[in-house]
Amino acid sequence: MLGAITAYGLFKFLHFPPLLTAVVVFPLFLLIGFLFERWLLRPIKADSQHEFLIASILVTLGASLTIEDVTFFLLEQASISIPFSLPSLKWRGIVIPSIRLIILGIIVCLTLLVHFYLKHSFTGKAMRAITQNREGALVVGVNISRIAMVTFGIGTALAATAGAFYVILFAVTPSIGIPLTVRYLSIVVLGGLGSLMGSLLGGIILGLTEAITSFYVGGHWVPASSFFLLILVLLIRPQGLLGYKS
Amino acid sequence: MVKRKLWTYWINPLIIGIIHLILLFINSENLVLARDAILIGGTISETGTFNTDVGPFRKLMESWAAMINERGGLPVDGQKLPVKFILYDDKSDRDTVLKFYEKLVTEDKVDLLIGPYSSFLTLAASTVAERHGVPFVAVEANSPKIYERGFKWIVGVLAPATIWSEHYFNMIQAEGKAKSIAFISEDIVHAREVYEGAIKKAEEIGLKVLFKEIAPSKTVDFSAPIAKMKELDPDIVYISSFHPFAVAFMKQAKELDLNPREFHPIHHGIGFLSALGKDAEYAVGESYWVPGIQKGDAKFFEELLKRSGIDVGEWPWAGIRMGAFDVIKAGIEKAGTLEPAKLMNALKTLSVETITGTLRFDEKGVGTMNTIPTQIQNGKYVLIWPKEEGMPTGEHWYPTPKWSERR
Repeated sequence: MLGAITAYGLFKFLHFPPLLTAVVVFPLFLLIGFLFERWLLRPIKADSQHEFLIASILVTLGASLTIEDVTFFLLEQASISIPFSLPSLKWRGIVIPSIRLIILGIIVCLTLLVHFYLKHSFTGKAMRAITQNREGALVVGVNISRIAMVTFGIGTALAATAGAFYVILFAVTPSIGIPLTVRYLSIVVLGGLGSLMGSLLGGIILGLTEAITSFYVGGHWVPASSFFLLILVLLIRPQGLLGYKS
Repeated sequence: MVKRKLWTYWINPLIIGIIHLILLFINSENLVLARDAILIGGTISETGTFNTDVGPFRKLMESWAAMINERGGLPVDGQKLPVKFILYDDKSDRDTVLKFYEKLVTEDKVDLLIGPYSSFLTLAASTVAERHGVPFVAVEANSPKIYERGFKWIVGVLAPATIWSEHYFNMIQAEGKAKSIAFISEDIVHAREVYEGAIKKAEEIGLKVLFKEIAPSKTVDFSAPIAKMKELDPDIVYISSFHPFAVAFMKQAKELDLNPREFHPIHHGIGFLSALGKDAEYAVGESYWVPGIQKGDAKFFEELLKRSGIDVGEWPWAGIRMGAFDVIKAGIEKAGTLEPAKLMNALKTLSVETITGTLRFDEKGVGTMNTIPTQIQNGKYVLIWPKEEGMPTGEHWYPTPKWSERR
């Protein structure tokens, strides 16, 4: 939501081209993510992983609610959106929205970039090592605090970048964060925890399921169809579409 | 000795009794002599979801009170008293509303209550008024459910949501150009009530209803209903929803080249306009008041807006509040007292000229203030119906050009 509002501000007050707002949003929120981790998450680190997990959920959820309330107070309009569109592509009676096509392309590129970063860079390998075996990573000299900061920063920057594109396609309200988080968490679980390609695939499958349900059954059945799909996949493949069995 | 006994047993207690009576008389809150203002209580959603609809209305209300007081106040029991608002921030939350309305009645001892924003919060707030027998004036709340409970202590300025687009459909019928319509509604109480009433009215005036669907509130992908609408090619696409839903629909309608002769988003306020820019042109929706309407005390309302720094384009519900202020003022003037039963009776039997025309209440307390269709033309809201005296009615731009033909 903050990424969307920042992109909107850049467009409205600094007349940034809508598709280029992400160029500013990404580094800005990378820094914000670093600072958030450094000032709000690191101080609550506990000996027990379970305690830290609970504490970090409380801190991030609390921050989310605070940001939501403050934004409600400061924002004068009920919803914001960047008034921008591009002519759609038409081919043999099929209309393809070019703006969505461009955004999809950027998302695929970002997913591939993050994928290669995780696979081939030292920081990426360290992130995966910590996920697999925290103590082992510590023993071989991985600086866990630094990697946690980088991970949180990249996550924040990616979410903010998604917001910068979201505000071009849809209207954004301050309360948009938590419902979207739940939805995207479902996509991650569907694709398989820890699998970037799984998330991409999960998103596409969920989107197609919803569109088909809406067309053939009706719009009010869309949420039910998403949950049905999620339950079905988890019953057949509990680790998600491209996830690994632990 | 007898004299001393007389003082001790008779005169002293008598004096003490008289002093007590005088003190009681001075302190009594129920006595007219002690009253120095008319207290009107209410809550405003200054924070939370509804902040973006009525956030700055405290200033509007206090400015109205200041303007009334500058004119000498309102008549109560033969004297003029100033008006004072006691207002709390309800955080757009039902439980907070209940807490504050209870406080307004039991601790602040207000004479009259003005409702919160939305039918959802009004349903809760009005129960407090009913329980304590305090007159309650509902404002931005038009759900028929509010009045179906048989409450005795409520009047609401707005006409029911089910006749929200009454004037619009009267215009469509009078023009005779549009023949078919498609409906899509957000799955929330207000939008559904408007949608159900609009379908009924459309059928009544002979429009062919080609498509109707209720979609979940958070829907962002409208590709399926838009594909169906493209096949059916309706003259009007009626979108019963709040801004985020309507904005997402309109953006996708343009992307997928849906070209009805008219888009009708029921809420097309500044949030809709600024989110869509020039793509919002030609859209017809509903407003309560636009500058230039010369009904009721329009000049007073214009001065009120100026004083409170509120732009009615940005805060379209300001006109409803003005309707409620007119009701409160006329009600107190008619009753001439703050005695609850008499005041409530005066409110219910009012016929008051407001900035949108004559306002009355039916036996359940439902008001008659209704919307008027306005079209976005060159970034401005232009009134397009009804064509009557005192209304700056402009031309209805119909049909809307195709997306590819728009400049």
